[in-house]
Amino acid sequence: MIRFFSKNRTASLLVISAVSFALIGAFAPGFLSFATVRTILINGMIMMTVSLGVMGVLLTRNIDVSVGSTLGLSAAVLGLLLQAEVALPLAMAGALATGLLAGLLNGVLVAVIGVPAIIATLGTLGLYRGLLLILTGGVWIENLPQSLKALASPRFAGFPILIFVVAAIVLLAHLFLSHTRKGRFVYAVGDNRDAARHIGLPVRHIELSVFVFAGLMSAVGGIIFAAQIGFLPGQAGSGIELRVIAACVLGGISLLGGSGTVAGLVVAVFFLTSIDSALIYLRIPGYWNDLIAGAMLLLVLVVDGRLRLLIDKSVRAKRYANHASTDKGQSLIKATPGLTTSGGNQ
Amino acid sequence: MRPSLRFLLRWESFLVLLLIAEILIFGAINPRFLRPSSLLYSTSDFVQIGIVALPLTLVIIAGGIDVSFASVVGLCAIVFGVSVHFGLNVPVAMLLAVLAGGLCGLFNAAVILTSRIQPLVVTLGSLYLFSGLAVVLSGSIGAGGYEGIGGFPQFFTDIANMHLLGLPMPLAILLIEAILLGCILQFTRFGRMVYLVGLSEKAALFNGMPLDRVRMWTYVLLGVFAAIAGLILTSYFGSARTDLGTQTLLSAVTAVALGGASVYGGKGTIFGTLIATLLVGYLQQGLQMSGVSSQISGALSGALLLIAVSGRQLAGGVSVLSFLRPTALHASK
Amino acid sequence: MTEEAAGVSVRDVWKGYAGVPVLKGVSLSLERGQIHALLGGNGAGKSTLMRVIAGLAHADRGAVFIRGQELRPASAKKAHMLGLYLVPQEAHVFASLTVYENIVIGVPGSKAALSAKLEGFMREMGVCLDLEEIAGSLEIADRQIVEILRGLIRDASYLILDEPTSALTPRETGALFATMRRLVAGGMGIIFISHKLREVREICDVITVLRDGVIVHSGMLSEISDDGIVAAMIDAVADKARHEVSHAADEVVLELDRLGGEGFHGVSLALRRGEILGIAGVVGAGRTELAETIVGLRPIASGTCRLDGRQIAQPSPKTCADLGLVYLPEDRQSNGLFLEAPISWNVSAAIMHRLPTFFAGAAETKRAETFIRELGIKCRGAEQQVLRLSGGNQQKVLMARCLAAKPQVLILDEPTRGVDVAARADIYNIIFALAAAGTAIIVISSDFDEIEELCDRVAVMAHGHLSGVLEGADVSVKAIAQLAFSAEVSL
Repeated sequence: MIRFFSKNRTASLLVISAVSFALIGAFAPGFLSFATVRTILINGMIMMTVSLGVMGVLLTRNIDVSVGSTLGLSAAVLGLLLQAEVALPLAMAGALATGLLAGLLNGVLVAVIGVPAIIATLGTLGLYRGLLLILTGGVWIENLPQSLKALASPRFAGFPILIFVVAAIVLLAHLFLSHTRKGRFVYAVGDNRDAARHIGLPVRHIELSVFVFAGLMSAVGGIIFAAQIGFLPGQAGSGIELRVIAACVLGGISLLGGSGTVAGLVVAVFFLTSIDSALIYLRIPGYWNDLIAGAMLLLVLVVDGRLRLLIDKSVRAKRYANHASTDKGQSLIKATPGLTTSGGNQ
Repeated sequence: MRPSLRFLLRWESFLVLLLIAEILIFGAINPRFLRPSSLLYSTSDFVQIGIVALPLTLVIIAGGIDVSFASVVGLCAIVFGVSVHFGLNVPVAMLLAVLAGGLCGLFNAAVILTSRIQPLVVTLGSLYLFSGLAVVLSGSIGAGGYEGIGGFPQFFTDIANMHLLGLPMPLAILLIEAILLGCILQFTRFGRMVYLVGLSEKAALFNGMPLDRVRMWTYVLLGVFAAIAGLILTSYFGSARTDLGTQTLLSAVTAVALGGASVYGGKGTIFGTLIATLLVGYLQQGLQMSGVSSQISGALSGALLLIAVSGRQLAGGVSVLSFLRPTALHASK
Repeated sequence: MTEEAAGVSVRDVWKGYAGVPVLKGVSLSLERGQIHALLGGNGAGKSTLMRVIAGLAHADRGAVFIRGQELRPASAKKAHMLGLYLVPQEAHVFASLTVYENIVIGVPGSKAALSAKLEGFMREMGVCLDLEEIAGSLEIADRQIVEILRGLIRDASYLILDEPTSALTPRETGALFATMRRLVAGGMGIIFISHKLREVREICDVITVLRDGVIVHSGMLSEISDDGIVAAMIDAVADKARHEVSHAADEVVLELDRLGGEGFHGVSLALRRGEILGIAGVVGAGRTELAETIVGLRPIASGTCRLDGRQIAQPSPKTCADLGLVYLPEDRQSNGLFLEAPISWNVSAAIMHRLPTFFAGAAETKRAETFIRELGIKCRGAEQQVLRLSGGNQQKVLMARCLAAKPQVLILDEPTRGVDVAARADIYNIIFALAAAGTAIIVISSDFDEIEELCDRVAVMAHGHLSGVLEGADVSVKAIAQLAFSAEVSL
């Protein structure tokens, strides 16, 4: 039943997307085209990578709001290294290392010291953003080398190289989360922490790793940002944390941990990114974007929440209806003479 | 003294000491900072953080969370601006803005309590919804994002610069609010239920407490005060903008957490949040006056929050851990 | 005996929670090829002992050895590696993973090999589970089977089964026993915790009886009679005279007429002023559900519930408390008390809505202090956190909370669970004094001794129905037990 609905979330979101695309296409000829889809995919790259990282954290029933700052910080490290004429691969490695360290600090705060994740990552959100400003002196980093920008310029059928990297990461993440032992550990920790501990899963290691992964993904997002935009403002990536969490939630990843799929996330990111393009084609002023995104998010959540409540209720009713009929079956094991004096159970 | 409160008071005295140290350090760097007038008037730049952080403390104590207040600040400012634009007189428009704030809180509460979705998710959605609404509203009368809606009567823009009991108006409002909410929390039935609901939802239910109603009011209070913050900022800047509250989001949550409230509910005080607000606010102001970029203060307040909370976690290690592992409690049977 | 031979060996283990000792120097050894029964009443410390053996809790003193290796530092993973698996009483299930994943999670090996092995176990046990189903939708019995399979798939040499049969059907129980026998023949050692002597007789070789954290009997099962076991389990002092004075008046306060709800049907009862009415039965008989329905926590499905001859209009804990109908919940840690709040806050919790909007802390403290004195709550003052009190004193705080509401009818659900002997006597005296003052009291308990000692009249429930009412001289542990297990008698 739960699987049905989590699957259904992906499916229903897909249906909503398809229907709205068809409607928009009917009103705005030219919208339904390969070019539109391509634009949406390209525009959604940053959100996709970063939300993939956050997804891992959410699956373990934690949260990471520092990803926007981590993105900015790693992008800045990349930019500064490039300005110092470090080779591109090395500079990219530097950016990734920055993301990794940032994620590691979050992980240590949460998994080792035991600070609630929302508080810890709120603190690092400020910390990383400040570090970024200290590193850059508050100055925008411009004149990034062409070799970096080339990564984001159209190459194959109008797609940049980076999008294949993103696609590969998404695919790997999907395979890891749904088809490997370690991937299922991530779900298990968020699903029932006590049980995970009881089974002997390395709960702390898993928590630490998802935060490191989130940091790493933010760094990838930072590299994409630098390549796509071509310069780095001090506010690079700020605010993305909220949009990314919204995408995860819309994609069916529960903030209570343990459920959600990469497929759902992909559809949600595509859907949220497409709002921008759709508004342009419908000639609606861009400022409607937030309103529509917020309303969509709430609508999906409320409908989903109500459905769950109804299911719970019917399951409960069924359980008590069964009670009467299973009485006879249960009676034998409940009944044991001899030990009457101690009775119950603890 | 209650042990739970005793611990908190110890925490709060620590915050007070930290605040004094902070002010002295900045004073040593730049003596102008220590002038009473400068200490008083610089508060006007960060009072809005406290105005929303205080009712947010109530929401968090009751076991909830709300991030949408950051948009409510802007939305209510726009509601006020649009009402004035359409010729309503200022006091009525102000009332309308406050009403809008209350309705925003009610909306959050209604969605949270009827759908039983986590409050963080719901208010994240309404964060977009409300800011989107504000943008659309201001767009509808052709006001651009940056200049906002202006042209308010002189007496309204004067409000933020008036004095009450020798204090700048925004600070006076914050202090009055703190006393009001502090009294509600400590001395009323409602305040006690806020704590109890946050401590144990189940036990509150078994004791017949109106769980949903208590939580609803915390959200409504936050909405109302977010509206008040929006009005003060509008008066202070002379224009109503949609993004007036954006900066308050993280600082206010930081102030509440630093002030000692627990995100698990049931713990926290108004006094703690108030001191933490001053701590965070003066940090920004002091750094600015010391010639440090105001943006870097974000790093410092982030670090401050981390060090404070980790320190508290490590110091209180044993009790906190045993609290987090309910199995340890149940195994005693 | 060498440590190698001993398999699992527990030496002089002490363990306390919040300063209350639960285990007081327990030593135990489990050999391979043996099924070792562990018995004990409520609060004897069985679960705590098992948690220590399984590495889920640290012993304060003493040590646990598995295959001669000390389990230190205590960790579940280390215990698993040494070949010991604890099947807990309440199954830990990952609700959003599949049944297969739930079972094999953390076990190395290819899917094909694990599936084949798993299906082998399932065939032998005669259970049928859809491995691809989501575990969240499993019934309780199936969850228990998932836990047992978890232990089996881990190739455990030692299994601890904590009341594994309490949720199984007889057929499943039989299958489980067959599996256990086969495993033991293959050299496994099993600790079997149960309340059911018949099951113990059927399957176990060795028996250990735990009482109040101390081992009171240990030896071969064949060398001790059923009566001997029961005698070992029961506290010697418990054998005292029943309270004979009844204060019951003729006036009926609470009247249930064919009341039905979640988990019970057609219960008709009348409670008189000053009467102590016991509701006995085993866990799952519908007693707690009945109580929670009476006080408005669960919906009424059929029938009526009248207080003072009037039907309660909109039953809710608040309206019921206003009418003087107060409930002391079974699970005091999660449903009853605000553990992190001071005693004074807890005492006022049930009467919050009757306090003025603005209240002074002084009155509240005074109220709490009155109860602390009257009920003999051992604490450092009215502002002490309830978390820091012992189980007995926590229970007294909960009593104080109920009494502050000035009840006319008081429903006590397992009032002395996890409470030490001295506090238990205090609580009994409070109950008698209340009855003498005219309060009508319902005591729900699975401890039939307690029911016998306390109650004027006993209603016994079995499988959601009222199976009989005993009064006066008819009230005896034996009679209660017969009614509580009546379903079996009739089968």
